[in-house]
Order: sequence, then C-alpha cells, then structure tokens
Amino acid sequence: MILETLADFLTVSELGSVLVEGLAKSALYVMIASGLTLIFGLMGVLNFAHGSLTMVGAYLGGLVMVLTVSQSTGLVGRLGLFFVAIVLVFGALTLLGGAIETTIIRPLYDRPPIYQILLTFGLTLVVDEVVRIVLGLYGMQPLSDWQAALATKPQLLREPAALGPIEVRWLSVFEILLGVLTVAAIWAFLTRTRYGLYIRAGSEDTEMASALGIDVRQVFTVVFALGIGLAGAAGTLLMWDVAWGASVPLAAETLLPAFIVVIVGGLGTFRGTVVASLVVGMTDSTMTWWFQNYVTFTGLPELMLFLVLVVTLIVRPQGLFGVEEVGGH
Amino acid sequence: MAGLDWPTDYLRAHVPHLAIVSLLALYPSIYHLLANSLGLYEAEILLPGVETMTAVLYFGLFAMSFDFISGYTGYLSFGHAAFYGTGAYTVILVANGAVPLLGPGTPFVVSLLVAGLLAVLLALVVGLVSFRLSGVYFAMITLGFAQVLYVFIRGWDYVARNPRDGPSVGPTHSEGFQLGVPGVDQLNVAIGVLTGDEVTMLGHTLGGTAVSYYAIGAVVLLCYFAMQRIIHSPFGRVMIAIRENEERAVAIGYDTYRYKLAAFAVSGFFAAIAGGLFAGFRRSASPENSFYFLTTGDALLASIIGGFGTLAGPLFGRLFDETVREFLSKSGQGGGLLPYLRAGLGEETLSTPVVGNTSLGTLIDTLLNGHASLYIGIVFVLFVLYVPDGLLGTVRQRVGGKLAHVSAVRFGDGSTANATTDDATGEEE
Repeated sequence: MILETLADFLTVSELGSVLVEGLAKSALYVMIASGLTLIFGLMGVLNFAHGSLTMVGAYLGGLVMVLTVSQSTGLVGRLGLFFVAIVLVFGALTLLGGAIETTIIRPLYDRPPIYQILLTFGLTLVVDEVVRIVLGLYGMQPLSDWQAALATKPQLLREPAALGPIEVRWLSVFEILLGVLTVAAIWAFLTRTRYGLYIRAGSEDTEMASALGIDVRQVFTVVFALGIGLAGAAGTLLMWDVAWGASVPLAAETLLPAFIVVIVGGLGTFRGTVVASLVVGMTDSTMTWWFQNYVTFTGLPELMLFLVLVVTLIVRPQGLFGVEEVGGH
Repeated sequence: MAGLDWPTDYLRAHVPHLAIVSLLALYPSIYHLLANSLGLYEAEILLPGVETMTAVLYFGLFAMSFDFISGYTGYLSFGHAAFYGTGAYTVILVANGAVPLLGPGTPFVVSLLVAGLLAVLLALVVGLVSFRLSGVYFAMITLGFAQVLYVFIRGWDYVARNPRDGPSVGPTHSEGFQLGVPGVDQLNVAIGVLTGDEVTMLGHTLGGTAVSYYAIGAVVLLCYFAMQRIIHSPFGRVMIAIRENEERAVAIGYDTYRYKLAAFAVSGFFAAIAGGLFAGFRRSASPENSFYFLTTGDALLASIIGGFGTLAGPLFGRLFDETVREFLSKSGQGGGLLPYLRAGLGEETLSTPVVGNTSLGTLIDTLLNGHASLYIGIVFVLFVLYVPDGLLGTVRQRVGGKLAHVSAVRFGDGSTANATTDDATGEEE
C-alpha cells in the first residue's frame, strides 16, 4: 500500500503539482518571514508582534480592495488595484513600524533581549484586541475569513492552470511571482544600495558601524519600519488565499511558521531565510499531499514543520546559514 | 540556645506568608459576607468569585513553575504549556481508564504524581537537547517541542472522541476527584464545581466550590513552599548565578548544564501538578487551554505583572489578570461591569446616544466587555517598560529587601536580621 502511494507520488503530474504548490508556499513563507529576519539580524529583536501586524496588513489590504473593486472590475483592474493596495499597506505599516520602534522598542535596547520578546508579545495582545473591537463595531466575525475581501479576487486566480501534464492553481503561480519579486527587491536593496550596506554593516557589528559614522539609531528605526511594512505586504497577499484569509487567528497562524523559517535559516541571515522557506514550503506541500492521499493524521503538515525546527536546532543550532554568536545571549 | 530559638525565628521570618495565606483562607468568607450577607453589590462586582479564585490558585501555580525556570535561571521556557497539558491530560486519561496499568479507580493524588513524573521525563528529554542552546534559541526550541505535542495531541483520536475539543472525564469516573491523603477517607474531599463535597464546619456549610478552593489551595501552598525551599537552597543559589552570569558560574566549577536540567525537571513537575489540579477541578481540558503556546503566554503575563524572578509574584499577577477579566467579562456572571451599569444607570441612560448614533450601552459593550485582553495587554506593556520588576519585585525594592526579611528585622532581634539580609543581597537584582 505504501509502495503504491509512493508510486502515485512519483508520477510527473503529482510530483509537479506538489513542487509548484511547494514553491507557492515557500513564496508566502519568505514574504512572511523576511521582515522578521531583517529586524532580528540588525537589532537582535525577535518580534512577536510580526504575526499580528501581518494580520493587520491582511485587513487593511482587504479594506482597500473592498472599497475600490466593484462587480464589473476586470482582471487587469483587479490586479492593478491589488498592487496599489500592497503599496498602500506597505506604506501605512512602515509608518506604524517606525512609530512602534521610536516609542516603545527603543527604551529597551539596554535591557536583556528577553524584554524585547516580552514587549512585542504584549503588543500582539493589544493589536489583536484592537482589531477585534474594530471588527465588532462593523459587525464582522473575527474568527472566520473575511469573505468580502476574498470576493475581490479575480476569476482567473480561482481557476486551475494546466502547465503540460501538471495541474496547479493560477493563484499559486501569482504567489510565486510575487515571492520572487519580493526576494529580488530585498536582495537588491541589501546589496545594491548604500542603505543596504549600512544595514549589513550594522548586522555584522553595530559598534563598529556607528564608529564609522553611520547613524545606527536611524538605521534601526528604518529597518524595523521596513520589516513591519513587509509583514503588511505579506498580509495583503494572504487575504486572497483561502487557506489563510483575513481573520484574527491569522496572527498566530503566520507567526509560528515565520519563526520556524527564520530559525531554520539562521536568525538574521536573509539568504538563510530564503533557503529555509524553500525547505519548509516543500516539506509543507509534500506532507499535505501525503495527508490528502495516504496518512489520516490531520495535523501532519503542521507537525512536520515543527519537527523540521526541532531537528534543525538539534543538528545545527545556529540554523542553516546562521553565525553562532547571533542571538546566543 | 539556637535549638530553642528557631521556631520563633522561623515564624517571624514568615509573617508575610502567614498574612497572605490567612487572607486567602478567609477570602471565601469575606466574599460571602460582603456580597451575600451585607448585599454590597460593589463588592460582588469588584471582587472575583470563589470559582475564579480557585482558577487563580492552580494557574498561579503553573505561572510560578514557569517563573521558577524562566525568572530564576533566565532561560525563557516558551514551551511550558507542554507540562501543564501533560498534567491535565494524564489526570483525565487515568480517570477514563485510558492509561495502561492505572485503572479509573486510581486515587487522584496518585495520578497527580504520575502526571508530575511524566512531566519530569518530558522535561529531561526536551532539556537534554534544548539546554545546548541559550537565549532566543532556547525559547524557540522549547516552543517548537510544545507545538509538536500540541499538534499531535490535537489530532490523536485516542485521547478523546473529538481530539480538537479535548477529553473530558467520562462515566467511568462520574464522582468528583478525591484530593487528600490516599487511603484515608476522612482526609479526602471531592473537588469540582458541581461534584465537590459539601463540608459543614462550626455550623458553617461550605459548598463544593469553596471546598475545592481550600483543597486546591492547600496543594498549591505545599508546592509553593517546596519550590521556595529549593530556591533558598544552595541549588537555588546556583540557578540565580546562572541567570546573573553563566560563564562565571561555569568558571567557578559548577556544571551548569546539570543544574539547568534539574531546575527544568522540577519546574516541569510543578507545572504538571498545576495542570492536573486544573483538569481535576474543571473535569475537562482542550488543546487550546492546555498545550497551546498562548497558555504559556498567560503564565508569562502573570509572571511579568506579578514580578519576574519572585516566586510568589506570578500568583498575584494571575490574580490581577483574572480580576480584570472577570470585571470586564461579557457574561457578567458573578458581577462585572455591565450588569452594574445596567442596574446603576438604568436603560434610559445607556441608550442615550454619545457618539453619532451609538448609544452609551453599545459603546461600553464594544469597548469594554469581553475585551479584557486589550487592557491587560496595555498594562503588560507598561509593566515591561516601566515596572520591569513587577508588583512584588517593586514592593521588595521599596521596602529594601524581601518582605520576610524586613518583617524579621522589625519583629526579630538583630542577629537574625543581619544573617537574613546578608543572605538576601544576592537575590535583589
């Protein structure tokens, strides 16, 4: 029986669709996690509020779409508005991130790193509850996905796409494109701009960077703000995916995979995060396939993700690409 | 001479303990007196009910065990919920006859101890791997282990018919769990809201909830003293040394890995006892309120507000947490803000529009009721920023030492005071 299933699994069409779905999941994971890893790499702050801010991004992105998209808007119009929404949400959350860093994170840099975890954990409680209150005012259900936002998805992204013998969803293709775009943009920013150079210098040695005349305080604020902005952009994309959707539990649903990806890759290395999201995304899609076809255990994909985390930490505690000193306070 | 003096010295050093314990012991009577006999409505609104206080006790014990490892050694155990869940599930599964070798008739105390030992095993396995890491990585790997267990238990249909909702005590064990000395009927009482024993004492009848409150309170007190004893032993000194400067502790010659592992096991044991008490009282558990990482979050909340690195602090932190939650609860059961406002202001005032066409009542309903998390979250953030020592830690700083030592100075003779304040300096950080 297991051999038959294995034979099923190894056919071109099945393997191909698992691969494409895996890439789509990796794209989502890298979008969720890259903000987290930038912030940790530079500042050593493990941002527990990342998931909550992703969730806020999902709702804000949904809001923009719901307000602008009408029944008659076509495919191009909807996709165009979606990019407008991503830019708007990115901007809004970047501002929010900057405000958070300057008001409440900054006083904690002198304290042990545990306090930053604590503070951002408290922030999640506040953010989640504020979202619940706002939803309550508009009579929306906090626990179920926001259907009106899902409805703004163009028809094409609901349909399956055939790439030769492989059947995938158009949405997956869209997610992969967006993920590649995000990775390319962040990579270009880090390696091709002067500010990226500051960030890399600061990640390596904060004291030395500031001795060389870089205003590290300002770099901290900018990176925290950009990291939160990325969380918002990821949230906007998740709003269209039925597997995630805009809802309050999205906060915890995205936070935990983001942690896994960031830690498996090595806290603070962007390259590690990209590789780790591929590993995690592929594991996820493979296990999802096995769960749908062979194993009856419901939590299998989720279980495997955490096992990937645990095994990585046992075998290589600093993560795939991590440097040993980072984070080991 | 010392042989004759120590009992009085000991009592003197424990004046604050005695005061707190007797206050907690009198609480049901005080509550009953204020809320029912005198009919003070305000008391009923502001004070948490006895059932809530019971929850404060067992969850307070869990928060203490969390603080025992996290606050004293500085290793943030973000997967502590795994031990709490182990305790809760073990107790229920034993009662349902689902654990091999232990029938449904196993005394509650025995299944509590079994739960504790299972948690010790789990802590050793998790700790062996995790203590090779430190800082953020330690927090994350323990979180990882706990989430593996959470996902597993949520999908394993052996533990309950619907594992997502979690198990509850079935018909094989319809009577309440007997808490007390096993084998001696007179020294046992049944706990639970509905299944608890009624006890008549000095012409005063205590209901099931009040009896559970005392029985669980006694266990929690016992566990507290056990942990306190450990913290004040040379072993506890090493734990604090690890928090303050692990490299130095290693340099002095301590095998810190073993100390951390042992502390983790002890803390896991008491967390499981807390989980077992919770399951014994509620008679059901769900993955969300036992194994999930937000359960650890609640313990973290209680520890920070009460005082990180003070053993009793988390209990007060939890008391604060539960009081606010009950005050702002939606159902308004046993008091709360909304019923009070309804009675005090009348429907007419509540329906007056305040902002736009939103009435005062709706505004209160949307902003306050059921949204305690918001206010607790804000308080938590403020504590992290401005009161990092928490309630108890700050009180200690104000009075210049541990309360026990201060009271020893005040009530005792000079020699005791000197000895104890010297002893205390290492801990005030």
